[in-house]
Amino acid sequence: MTATGGVFPAGAATRLLPASIPFRYFGAAVVFHVAAWAAVLAGAADAPGFVGGLGWSVAALHLVALGVLAMTAIGAGLQLLPVASRQPVRAVRIAAAIWWIYTPAVAAVACGMGIGSPKVLAAGAVATVAALAAFAVLFARNLVGARGMPVVIAHGWGALVSLLVVLATAAALVGTYVGVPALDRATALAMHVAFAAYGFMGLLAFGLSYILVPMFALADTPGRRPAMASLGLAVTALVLAGLAAFGVATSVLRIAAVAAGAGAVAIHLWLMQATLAAGMRKDLGLSFVLVRIGWVLLATSLVAGLAVALDVPVDGAATLFGVLLVPGWLLTFLLGILQRIVPFLASLHAGAGAAPGKRRPPTPSALTAGRPLTVHFTCHLAALTLLVAAVLAQSPGLAAAAGVAGAAGAVAFAAAFAIAVRRMAGA
Amino acid sequence: MSDSRQPVPPAPGRSWPEADGVHIDVRGLEPPGPLVAILRLIDAAGTGTVIVHHDRDPQLLYPELAERGWAAERVPAPDGEVRLKLRRP
Repeated sequence: MTATGGVFPAGAATRLLPASIPFRYFGAAVVFHVAAWAAVLAGAADAPGFVGGLGWSVAALHLVALGVLAMTAIGAGLQLLPVASRQPVRAVRIAAAIWWIYTPAVAAVACGMGIGSPKVLAAGAVATVAALAAFAVLFARNLVGARGMPVVIAHGWGALVSLLVVLATAAALVGTYVGVPALDRATALAMHVAFAAYGFMGLLAFGLSYILVPMFALADTPGRRPAMASLGLAVTALVLAGLAAFGVATSVLRIAAVAAGAGAVAIHLWLMQATLAAGMRKDLGLSFVLVRIGWVLLATSLVAGLAVALDVPVDGAATLFGVLLVPGWLLTFLLGILQRIVPFLASLHAGAGAAPGKRRPPTPSALTAGRPLTVHFTCHLAALTLLVAAVLAQSPGLAAAAGVAGAAGAVAFAAAFAIAVRRMAGA
Repeated sequence: MSDSRQPVPPAPGRSWPEADGVHIDVRGLEPPGPLVAILRLIDAAGTGTVIVHHDRDPQLLYPELAERGWAAERVPAPDGEVRLKLRRP
Protein backbone atom coordinates (compact mmCIF):
# COMPACT_ATOMS: atom_id res chain seq x y z
CA MET A 1 0.00 0.00 0.00
CA THR A 2 1.33 3.44 -0.86
CA ALA A 3 -0.92 5.39 1.40
CA THR A 4 0.15 8.43 3.33
CA GLY A 5 -2.71 8.25 5.74
CA GLY A 6 -3.55 11.90 5.11
CA VAL A 7 -6.37 13.60 3.26
CA PHE A 8 -4.19 13.93 0.17
CA PRO A 9 -2.50 10.75 -1.02
CA ALA A 10 1.04 10.54 -2.32
CA GLY A 11 1.29 11.82 -5.88
CA ALA A 12 -1.40 14.43 -5.48
CA ALA A 13 1.08 17.11 -6.47
CA THR A 14 2.10 15.63 -9.81
CA ARG A 15 0.01 18.01 -11.88
CA LEU A 16 0.24 20.96 -9.52
CA LEU A 17 2.45 23.93 -10.22
CA PRO A 18 4.39 25.11 -7.20
CA ALA A 19 1.97 27.22 -5.15
CA SER A 20 4.13 30.28 -5.71
CA ILE A 21 3.30 30.30 -9.45
CA PRO A 22 -0.51 30.64 -9.48
CA PHE A 23 -0.50 32.64 -6.26
CA ARG A 24 1.97 35.22 -7.56
CA TYR A 25 -0.43 35.86 -10.46
CA PHE A 26 -3.43 36.06 -8.12
CA GLY A 27 -1.49 38.32 -5.76
CA ALA A 28 -0.55 40.71 -8.55
CA ALA A 29 -4.19 40.73 -9.71
CA VAL A 30 -5.31 41.64 -6.20
CA VAL A 31 -2.87 44.58 -6.08
CA PHE A 32 -3.79 45.80 -9.58
CA HIS A 33 -7.44 45.61 -8.51
CA VAL A 34 -6.78 48.25 -5.86
CA ALA A 35 -4.77 50.31 -8.35
CA ALA A 36 -7.59 50.15 -10.91
CA TRP A 37 -10.12 51.75 -8.58
CA ALA A 38 -7.53 54.31 -7.48
CA ALA A 39 -7.11 55.17 -11.16
CA VAL A 40 -10.89 55.61 -11.48
CA LEU A 41 -10.64 58.13 -8.64
CA ALA A 42 -7.67 59.87 -10.28
CA GLY A 43 -9.53 60.10 -13.59
CA ALA A 44 -12.94 60.94 -12.12
CA ALA A 45 -13.10 64.28 -13.90
CA ASP A 46 -13.05 62.58 -17.33
CA ALA A 47 -14.53 59.18 -16.48
CA PRO A 48 -18.24 59.92 -17.04
CA GLY A 49 -17.64 60.93 -20.67
CA PHE A 50 -14.65 58.71 -21.40
CA VAL A 51 -14.55 57.43 -24.98
CA GLY A 52 -10.81 56.95 -25.50
CA GLY A 53 -7.47 58.71 -25.43
CA LEU A 54 -4.72 58.71 -22.82
CA GLY A 55 -5.49 59.49 -19.17
CA TRP A 56 -6.33 57.77 -15.90
CA SER A 57 -9.67 56.42 -17.17
CA VAL A 58 -8.05 54.35 -19.90
CA ALA A 59 -5.37 53.38 -17.37
CA ALA A 60 -8.10 52.13 -15.01
CA LEU A 61 -9.65 50.13 -17.86
CA HIS A 62 -6.33 48.44 -18.64
CA LEU A 63 -5.47 47.87 -14.99
CA VAL A 64 -8.66 45.83 -14.83
CA ALA A 65 -8.25 44.14 -18.23
CA LEU A 66 -4.53 43.37 -18.10
CA GLY A 67 -3.79 43.62 -14.41
CA VAL A 68 -6.77 41.76 -12.96
CA LEU A 69 -8.55 39.79 -15.69
CA ALA A 70 -5.65 38.60 -17.86
CA MET A 71 -3.35 38.21 -14.83
CA THR A 72 -5.86 35.91 -13.13
CA ALA A 73 -6.57 34.10 -16.39
CA ILE A 74 -2.87 33.30 -16.80
CA GLY A 75 -2.52 32.01 -13.22
CA ALA A 76 -5.72 30.00 -13.31
CA GLY A 77 -5.19 28.75 -16.87
CA LEU A 78 -1.64 27.54 -16.21
CA GLN A 79 -2.81 25.65 -13.11
CA LEU A 80 -6.30 24.39 -13.90
CA LEU A 81 -5.87 23.25 -17.49
CA PRO A 82 -3.17 20.62 -16.78
CA VAL A 83 -5.11 19.37 -13.75
CA ALA A 84 -8.35 19.02 -15.68
CA SER A 85 -6.84 17.74 -18.93
CA ARG A 86 -4.59 15.06 -17.39
CA GLN A 87 -1.26 16.60 -18.30
CA PRO A 88 1.95 16.87 -16.31
CA VAL A 89 3.07 20.32 -15.28
CA ARG A 90 5.73 21.66 -17.61
CA ALA A 91 7.61 24.89 -18.26
CA VAL A 92 7.49 25.95 -14.62
CA ARG A 93 10.37 28.38 -15.07
CA ILE A 94 8.77 29.97 -18.11
CA ALA A 95 5.49 30.34 -16.20
CA ALA A 96 7.41 32.13 -13.44
CA ALA A 97 9.43 34.23 -15.90
CA ILE A 98 6.28 35.45 -17.66
CA TRP A 99 5.12 36.96 -14.35
CA TRP A 100 8.40 38.86 -13.93
CA ILE A 101 8.00 40.40 -17.39
CA TYR A 102 4.24 40.85 -17.39
CA THR A 103 3.74 42.47 -13.98
CA PRO A 104 6.06 45.48 -14.43
CA ALA A 105 4.92 45.72 -18.06
CA VAL A 106 1.30 46.16 -17.01
CA ALA A 107 2.36 48.76 -14.45
CA ALA A 108 4.27 50.61 -17.20
CA VAL A 109 1.30 50.49 -19.58
CA ALA A 110 -0.99 51.89 -16.89
CA CYS A 111 1.48 54.61 -15.89
CA GLY A 112 2.14 55.53 -19.52
CA MET A 113 -1.58 55.86 -20.15
CA GLY A 114 -2.23 57.69 -16.88
CA ILE A 115 0.50 60.31 -17.18
CA GLY A 116 0.09 60.54 -20.95
CA SER A 117 3.57 59.34 -21.88
CA PRO A 118 3.63 57.48 -25.22
CA LYS A 119 7.23 56.34 -24.60
CA VAL A 120 6.44 54.68 -21.27
CA LEU A 121 3.27 53.26 -22.77
CA ALA A 122 5.13 51.86 -25.78
CA ALA A 123 7.84 50.29 -23.61
CA GLY A 124 5.22 48.67 -21.39
CA ALA A 125 3.19 47.56 -24.39
CA VAL A 126 6.16 45.81 -26.04
CA ALA A 127 6.88 43.87 -22.85
CA THR A 128 3.18 43.11 -22.33
CA VAL A 129 2.80 41.75 -25.85
CA ALA A 130 5.95 39.64 -25.41
CA ALA A 131 4.73 38.19 -22.11
CA LEU A 132 1.24 37.44 -23.42
CA ALA A 133 2.72 35.88 -26.57
CA ALA A 134 4.81 33.59 -24.35
CA PHE A 135 1.69 32.71 -22.37
CA ALA A 136 -0.11 32.02 -25.66
CA VAL A 137 2.58 29.46 -26.55
CA LEU A 138 2.25 27.71 -23.17
CA PHE A 139 -1.53 27.81 -23.44
CA ALA A 140 -1.43 26.35 -26.97
CA ARG A 141 0.83 23.51 -25.76
CA ASN A 142 -1.68 22.72 -23.03
CA LEU A 143 -4.54 22.73 -25.54
CA VAL A 144 -2.67 20.50 -28.00
CA GLY A 145 -1.82 17.98 -25.27
CA ALA A 146 -5.23 17.97 -23.61
CA ARG A 147 -7.27 14.78 -23.46
CA GLY A 148 -11.06 14.95 -23.40
CA MET A 149 -13.09 18.04 -22.55
CA PRO A 150 -13.76 19.09 -26.17
CA VAL A 151 -16.01 21.96 -25.09
CA VAL A 152 -13.40 23.53 -22.84
CA ILE A 153 -10.63 22.96 -25.36
CA ALA A 154 -12.67 24.47 -28.22
CA HIS A 155 -13.36 27.56 -26.11
CA GLY A 156 -9.66 27.67 -25.29
CA TRP A 157 -8.72 27.75 -28.97
CA GLY A 158 -11.26 30.52 -29.56
CA ALA A 159 -9.77 32.50 -26.68
CA LEU A 160 -6.26 31.92 -27.99
CA VAL A 161 -7.04 33.17 -31.50
CA SER A 162 -8.81 36.15 -29.95
CA LEU A 163 -5.73 36.87 -27.85
CA LEU A 164 -3.60 37.03 -31.00
CA VAL A 165 -6.05 39.53 -32.52
CA VAL A 166 -5.95 41.55 -29.29
CA LEU A 167 -2.15 41.65 -29.30
CA ALA A 168 -2.00 42.69 -32.97
CA THR A 169 -4.57 45.45 -32.53
CA ALA A 170 -2.93 46.60 -29.28
CA ALA A 171 0.36 46.98 -31.12
CA ALA A 172 -1.44 48.93 -33.86
CA LEU A 173 -3.11 51.24 -31.33
CA VAL A 174 0.14 51.96 -29.49
CA GLY A 175 1.73 52.54 -32.90
CA THR A 176 -0.65 55.43 -33.52
CA TYR A 177 0.63 57.15 -30.34
CA VAL A 178 4.32 56.81 -31.27
CA GLY A 179 3.89 57.74 -34.93
CA VAL A 180 3.92 54.23 -36.42
CA PRO A 181 0.34 53.68 -37.59
CA ALA A 182 -0.16 50.14 -38.89
CA LEU A 183 -3.97 50.05 -38.97
CA ASP A 184 -6.73 52.63 -38.98
CA ARG A 185 -7.25 53.59 -35.32
CA ALA A 186 -11.05 53.19 -35.36
CA THR A 187 -10.74 49.74 -36.94
CA ALA A 188 -8.06 48.63 -34.50
CA LEU A 189 -10.02 49.98 -31.52
CA ALA A 190 -13.30 48.29 -32.51
CA MET A 191 -11.55 44.93 -32.98
CA HIS A 192 -9.49 45.37 -29.81
CA VAL A 193 -12.57 45.93 -27.63
CA ALA A 194 -14.61 43.08 -29.12
CA PHE A 195 -11.83 40.48 -29.20
CA ALA A 196 -10.41 41.38 -25.77
CA ALA A 197 -13.67 41.42 -23.82
CA TYR A 198 -15.92 38.97 -25.62
CA GLY A 199 -13.17 36.98 -27.37
CA PHE A 200 -10.16 36.35 -25.16
CA MET A 201 -11.69 36.92 -21.73
CA GLY A 202 -15.24 36.03 -22.67
CA LEU A 203 -14.51 32.68 -24.30
CA LEU A 204 -12.08 31.80 -21.52
CA ALA A 205 -14.77 32.61 -18.95
CA PHE A 206 -17.39 30.59 -20.84
CA GLY A 207 -15.06 27.60 -21.35
CA LEU A 208 -13.71 27.41 -17.80
CA SER A 209 -17.26 27.85 -16.49
CA TYR A 210 -18.13 24.47 -18.00
CA ILE A 211 -15.70 22.93 -15.48
CA LEU A 212 -15.73 25.35 -12.57
CA VAL A 213 -19.47 25.95 -12.15
CA PRO A 214 -20.35 22.21 -12.06
CA MET A 215 -17.34 21.64 -9.81
CA PHE A 216 -18.43 24.23 -7.27
CA ALA A 217 -22.14 23.40 -7.53
CA LEU A 218 -21.38 19.64 -7.59
CA ALA A 219 -23.43 19.04 -10.71
CA ASP A 220 -23.04 17.08 -13.92
CA THR A 221 -21.30 18.76 -16.85
CA PRO A 222 -23.68 20.69 -19.15
CA GLY A 223 -24.63 19.11 -22.47
CA ARG A 224 -21.94 19.19 -25.14
CA ARG A 225 -24.16 20.11 -28.09
CA PRO A 226 -25.75 23.26 -26.65
CA ALA A 227 -22.38 24.37 -25.28
CA MET A 228 -20.81 23.99 -28.72
CA ALA A 229 -23.78 25.80 -30.28
CA SER A 230 -23.16 28.68 -27.87
CA LEU A 231 -19.50 28.72 -28.89
CA GLY A 232 -20.42 28.67 -32.58
CA LEU A 233 -22.68 31.67 -32.14
CA ALA A 234 -20.04 33.51 -30.10
CA VAL A 235 -17.40 32.95 -32.76
CA THR A 236 -19.88 34.06 -35.44
CA ALA A 237 -20.52 37.24 -33.44
CA LEU A 238 -16.80 37.95 -33.20
CA VAL A 239 -16.25 37.41 -36.92
CA LEU A 240 -19.17 39.72 -37.75
CA ALA A 241 -17.89 42.37 -35.34
CA GLY A 242 -14.44 42.05 -36.88
CA LEU A 243 -15.80 42.54 -40.40
CA ALA A 244 -17.86 45.52 -39.22
CA ALA A 245 -14.68 47.09 -37.84
CA PHE A 246 -13.31 47.26 -41.39
CA GLY A 247 -16.26 49.40 -42.45
CA VAL A 248 -18.14 46.78 -44.46
CA ALA A 249 -21.89 47.28 -43.90
CA THR A 250 -20.99 48.40 -40.42
CA SER A 251 -24.45 48.87 -38.88
CA VAL A 252 -25.96 45.69 -40.32
CA LEU A 253 -22.98 43.56 -39.33
CA ARG A 254 -22.84 45.03 -35.84
CA ILE A 255 -26.54 44.34 -35.28
CA ALA A 256 -26.06 40.80 -36.60
CA ALA A 257 -23.04 40.41 -34.29
CA VAL A 258 -25.09 41.49 -31.27
CA ALA A 259 -27.88 39.09 -32.28
CA ALA A 260 -25.45 36.17 -32.61
CA GLY A 261 -23.80 37.17 -29.33
CA ALA A 262 -27.18 37.30 -27.61
CA GLY A 263 -27.89 33.76 -28.81
CA ALA A 264 -24.54 32.56 -27.47
CA VAL A 265 -25.12 34.23 -24.11
CA ALA A 266 -28.70 32.94 -23.83
CA ILE A 267 -27.62 29.32 -24.36
CA HIS A 268 -24.66 29.67 -22.01
CA LEU A 269 -26.71 31.23 -19.22
CA TRP A 270 -29.44 28.62 -19.66
CA LEU A 271 -26.81 25.88 -19.26
CA MET A 272 -25.31 27.58 -16.23
CA GLN A 273 -28.70 28.07 -14.61
CA ALA A 274 -29.63 24.42 -15.21
CA THR A 275 -26.27 23.36 -13.73
CA LEU A 276 -26.78 25.42 -10.59
CA ALA A 277 -30.37 24.19 -10.22
CA ALA A 278 -29.28 20.54 -10.48
CA GLY A 279 -26.23 20.88 -8.24
CA MET A 280 -25.93 19.12 -4.89
CA ARG A 281 -24.53 22.29 -3.31
CA LYS A 282 -27.27 24.89 -3.24
CA ASP A 283 -25.66 27.48 -0.99
CA LEU A 284 -22.75 28.93 -2.93
CA GLY A 285 -22.55 32.08 -0.85
CA LEU A 286 -21.81 35.63 -1.89
CA SER A 287 -19.31 34.46 -4.49
CA PHE A 288 -22.05 33.13 -6.71
CA VAL A 289 -24.24 36.15 -6.09
CA LEU A 290 -21.40 38.06 -7.75
CA VAL A 291 -21.24 35.48 -10.53
CA ARG A 292 -24.99 35.79 -11.16
CA ILE A 293 -24.78 39.60 -11.15
CA GLY A 294 -21.93 39.32 -13.61
CA TRP A 295 -24.10 37.22 -15.91
CA VAL A 296 -26.92 39.78 -15.74
CA LEU A 297 -24.46 42.53 -16.62
CA LEU A 298 -23.14 40.44 -19.53
CA ALA A 299 -26.63 40.34 -21.02
CA THR A 300 -27.08 44.04 -20.27
CA SER A 301 -23.80 44.85 -22.01
CA LEU A 302 -25.21 43.39 -25.22
CA VAL A 303 -28.23 45.70 -24.96
CA ALA A 304 -25.88 48.64 -24.50
CA GLY A 305 -23.77 47.34 -27.39
CA LEU A 306 -26.85 47.26 -29.58
CA ALA A 307 -27.61 50.87 -28.62
CA VAL A 308 -24.09 51.83 -29.68
CA ALA A 309 -24.43 49.86 -32.93
CA LEU A 310 -27.70 51.64 -33.70
CA ASP A 311 -26.22 55.05 -32.79
CA VAL A 312 -29.01 55.63 -30.29
CA PRO A 313 -28.69 59.29 -29.22
CA VAL A 314 -28.03 58.70 -25.51
CA ASP A 315 -25.26 60.64 -23.78
CA GLY A 316 -22.53 58.31 -22.59
CA ALA A 317 -23.91 55.20 -24.35
CA ALA A 318 -20.44 54.03 -25.39
CA THR A 319 -19.03 54.68 -21.91
CA LEU A 320 -21.94 52.85 -20.31
CA PHE A 321 -21.29 49.91 -22.65
CA GLY A 322 -17.69 49.79 -21.45
CA VAL A 323 -18.68 50.00 -17.77
CA LEU A 324 -21.22 47.19 -18.08
CA LEU A 325 -18.78 45.06 -20.05
CA VAL A 326 -15.48 45.30 -18.16
CA PRO A 327 -16.00 46.15 -14.47
CA GLY A 328 -19.63 45.07 -14.74
CA TRP A 329 -19.57 41.62 -16.29
CA LEU A 330 -15.94 40.50 -16.44
CA LEU A 331 -14.61 41.90 -13.17
CA THR A 332 -17.69 40.98 -11.11
CA PHE A 333 -17.78 37.45 -12.53
CA LEU A 334 -14.05 36.95 -12.05
CA LEU A 335 -14.01 38.19 -8.46
CA GLY A 336 -16.83 35.79 -7.64
CA ILE A 337 -14.94 32.85 -9.13
CA LEU A 338 -11.55 33.93 -7.75
CA GLN A 339 -12.79 34.02 -4.16
CA ARG A 340 -13.71 30.33 -4.51
CA ILE A 341 -10.59 29.27 -6.47
CA VAL A 342 -8.09 30.80 -4.02
CA PRO A 343 -9.12 28.84 -0.89
CA PHE A 344 -9.68 25.71 -2.99
CA LEU A 345 -6.18 25.81 -4.49
CA ALA A 346 -4.69 26.88 -1.17
CA SER A 347 -6.22 23.82 0.49
CA LEU A 348 -4.97 21.61 -2.32
CA HIS A 349 -1.43 22.95 -2.01
CA ALA A 350 -1.42 22.82 1.78
CA GLY A 351 -2.59 19.20 1.66
CA ALA A 352 -0.25 18.10 -1.11
CA GLY A 353 2.71 19.47 0.79
CA ALA A 354 1.76 17.97 4.13
CA ALA A 355 4.01 15.24 5.45
CA PRO A 356 2.49 11.86 6.37
CA GLY A 357 1.19 11.74 9.88
CA LYS A 358 1.03 15.49 10.29
CA ARG A 359 -2.15 17.26 11.28
CA ARG A 360 -4.90 17.62 8.71
CA PRO A 361 -4.52 20.42 6.15
CA PRO A 362 -6.95 23.34 6.30
CA THR A 363 -10.23 22.96 4.42
CA PRO A 364 -11.28 25.53 1.78
CA SER A 365 -13.86 26.97 4.16
CA ALA A 366 -11.21 27.36 6.88
CA LEU A 367 -9.15 29.38 4.38
CA THR A 368 -12.04 31.67 3.43
CA ALA A 369 -12.15 35.01 5.24
CA GLY A 370 -15.86 35.77 5.31
CA ARG A 371 -15.92 39.26 6.77
CA PRO A 372 -13.53 40.95 4.30
CA LEU A 373 -15.38 39.28 1.44
CA THR A 374 -18.69 40.63 2.72
CA VAL A 375 -17.16 44.12 2.85
CA HIS A 376 -15.85 43.66 -0.67
CA PHE A 377 -19.24 42.47 -1.91
CA THR A 378 -20.99 45.57 -0.58
CA CYS A 379 -18.33 48.01 -1.76
CA HIS A 380 -18.04 46.44 -5.22
CA LEU A 381 -21.75 46.65 -5.90
CA ALA A 382 -21.83 50.22 -4.56
CA ALA A 383 -18.91 51.14 -6.83
CA LEU A 384 -20.58 49.67 -9.90
CA THR A 385 -23.86 51.42 -9.12
CA LEU A 386 -22.06 54.74 -8.59
CA LEU A 387 -20.10 54.31 -11.80
CA VAL A 388 -23.24 53.68 -13.85
CA ALA A 389 -24.91 56.65 -12.15
CA ALA A 390 -21.86 58.81 -12.88
CA VAL A 391 -22.10 58.02 -16.60
CA LEU A 392 -25.86 58.57 -16.76
CA ALA A 393 -25.67 61.84 -14.79
CA GLN A 394 -22.31 62.84 -16.32
CA SER A 395 -21.13 63.44 -12.75
CA PRO A 396 -17.41 63.47 -11.86
CA GLY A 397 -18.38 63.50 -8.17
CA LEU A 398 -20.21 60.19 -8.50
CA ALA A 399 -17.27 58.76 -10.45
CA ALA A 400 -14.94 59.79 -7.62
CA ALA A 401 -17.26 58.15 -5.10
CA ALA A 402 -17.21 55.00 -7.23
CA GLY A 403 -13.41 55.05 -7.12
CA VAL A 404 -13.39 55.35 -3.33
CA ALA A 405 -15.97 52.58 -2.83
CA GLY A 406 -14.24 50.33 -5.34
CA ALA A 407 -10.82 50.88 -3.76
CA ALA A 408 -12.22 50.11 -0.30
CA GLY A 409 -13.73 46.89 -1.63
CA ALA A 410 -10.50 45.98 -3.40
CA VAL A 411 -8.52 46.47 -0.17
CA ALA A 412 -10.99 44.17 1.61
CA PHE A 413 -10.58 41.59 -1.17
CA ALA A 414 -6.80 41.88 -0.81
CA ALA A 415 -7.15 41.26 2.93
CA ALA A 416 -9.16 38.09 2.25
CA PHE A 417 -6.46 36.93 -0.18
CA ALA A 418 -3.66 37.66 2.29
CA ILE A 419 -5.48 35.73 5.03
CA ALA A 420 -5.90 32.70 2.75
CA VAL A 421 -2.22 32.74 1.78
CA ARG A 422 -1.10 33.18 5.40
CA ARG A 423 -3.26 30.28 6.54
CA MET A 424 -2.00 28.13 3.66
CA ALA A 425 1.62 28.93 4.52
CA GLY A 426 1.01 28.16 8.19
CA ALA A 427 -0.65 24.81 7.52
CA MET B 1 -12.10 -24.20 -27.46
CA SER B 2 -10.95 -21.15 -25.55
CA ASP B 3 -13.36 -18.61 -24.15
CA SER B 4 -12.77 -15.40 -26.13
CA ARG B 5 -15.21 -13.35 -24.11
CA GLN B 6 -13.65 -10.35 -22.36
CA PRO B 7 -14.89 -9.13 -18.99
CA VAL B 8 -17.37 -6.31 -19.49
CA PRO B 9 -15.94 -3.09 -18.02
CA PRO B 10 -18.25 -1.37 -15.56
CA ALA B 11 -20.16 1.63 -16.84
CA PRO B 12 -18.61 4.99 -15.86
CA GLY B 13 -19.99 6.12 -12.54
CA ARG B 14 -21.35 2.66 -11.59
CA SER B 15 -21.01 1.61 -7.95
CA TRP B 16 -21.28 -1.80 -6.32
CA PRO B 17 -20.77 -3.25 -2.83
CA GLU B 18 -17.89 -5.56 -1.97
CA ALA B 19 -16.48 -6.89 1.27
CA ASP B 20 -13.97 -4.05 1.61
CA GLY B 21 -16.47 -1.26 0.94
CA VAL B 22 -18.55 0.31 -1.79
CA HIS B 23 -16.66 0.48 -5.08
CA ILE B 24 -17.21 3.17 -7.70
CA ASP B 25 -15.67 3.25 -11.17
CA VAL B 26 -15.34 6.76 -12.57
CA ARG B 27 -12.93 5.96 -15.40
CA GLY B 28 -13.96 7.60 -18.64
CA LEU B 29 -15.88 10.44 -17.03
CA GLU B 30 -14.82 13.97 -17.88
CA PRO B 31 -14.10 16.51 -15.15
CA PRO B 32 -15.86 17.24 -12.92
CA GLY B 33 -17.93 14.06 -13.44
CA PRO B 34 -15.73 11.84 -11.24
CA LEU B 35 -15.76 14.42 -8.45
CA VAL B 36 -19.53 14.71 -8.54
CA ALA B 37 -20.12 10.94 -8.74
CA ILE B 38 -17.81 10.22 -5.80
CA LEU B 39 -19.21 12.97 -3.58
CA ARG B 40 -22.76 11.96 -4.47
CA LEU B 41 -21.94 8.42 -3.29
CA ILE B 42 -20.27 9.63 -0.09
CA ASP B 43 -23.07 12.05 0.75
CA ALA B 44 -25.86 9.60 -0.03
CA ALA B 45 -24.52 6.28 1.16
CA GLY B 46 -23.24 7.18 4.59
CA THR B 47 -20.91 4.27 4.04
CA GLY B 48 -17.73 3.67 5.97
CA THR B 49 -15.34 2.98 3.12
CA VAL B 50 -15.40 3.79 -0.60
CA ILE B 51 -13.00 2.32 -3.13
CA VAL B 52 -12.55 4.57 -6.19
CA HIS B 53 -11.37 3.22 -9.54
CA HIS B 54 -9.97 6.18 -11.45
CA ASP B 55 -7.86 6.79 -14.52
CA ARG B 56 -5.97 9.70 -12.97
CA ASP B 57 -5.08 11.26 -9.66
CA PRO B 58 -8.26 13.22 -8.78
CA GLN B 59 -6.63 16.34 -7.40
CA LEU B 60 -9.80 18.41 -7.35
CA LEU B 61 -11.41 15.82 -5.06
CA TYR B 62 -9.11 16.25 -2.08
CA PRO B 63 -10.25 19.67 -0.82
CA GLU B 64 -13.87 18.46 -1.04
CA LEU B 65 -12.97 15.31 0.94
CA ALA B 66 -11.20 17.44 3.54
CA GLU B 67 -14.32 19.60 3.82
CA ARG B 68 -16.33 16.46 4.64
CA GLY B 69 -13.78 15.04 7.07
CA TRP B 70 -12.82 12.15 4.79
CA ALA B 71 -9.30 10.91 4.01
CA ALA B 72 -7.84 9.23 0.93
CA GLU B 73 -5.29 6.46 0.62
CA ARG B 74 -3.67 5.24 -2.57
CA VAL B 75 -3.94 1.45 -2.85
CA PRO B 76 -2.34 -0.96 -5.35
CA ALA B 77 -4.03 -1.07 -8.77
CA PRO B 78 -3.38 -2.49 -12.24
CA ASP B 79 -1.36 -0.40 -14.69
CA GLY B 80 -3.30 2.58 -16.00
CA GLU B 81 -5.59 2.75 -12.98
CA VAL B 82 -5.42 4.92 -9.89
CA ARG B 83 -7.25 3.27 -7.00
CA LEU B 84 -8.13 5.16 -3.85
CA LYS B 85 -9.54 4.05 -0.55
CA LEU B 86 -11.69 6.77 0.98
CA ARG B 87 -12.75 6.63 4.58
CA ARG B 88 -13.78 8.81 7.44
CA PRO B 89 -10.91 8.55 10.00
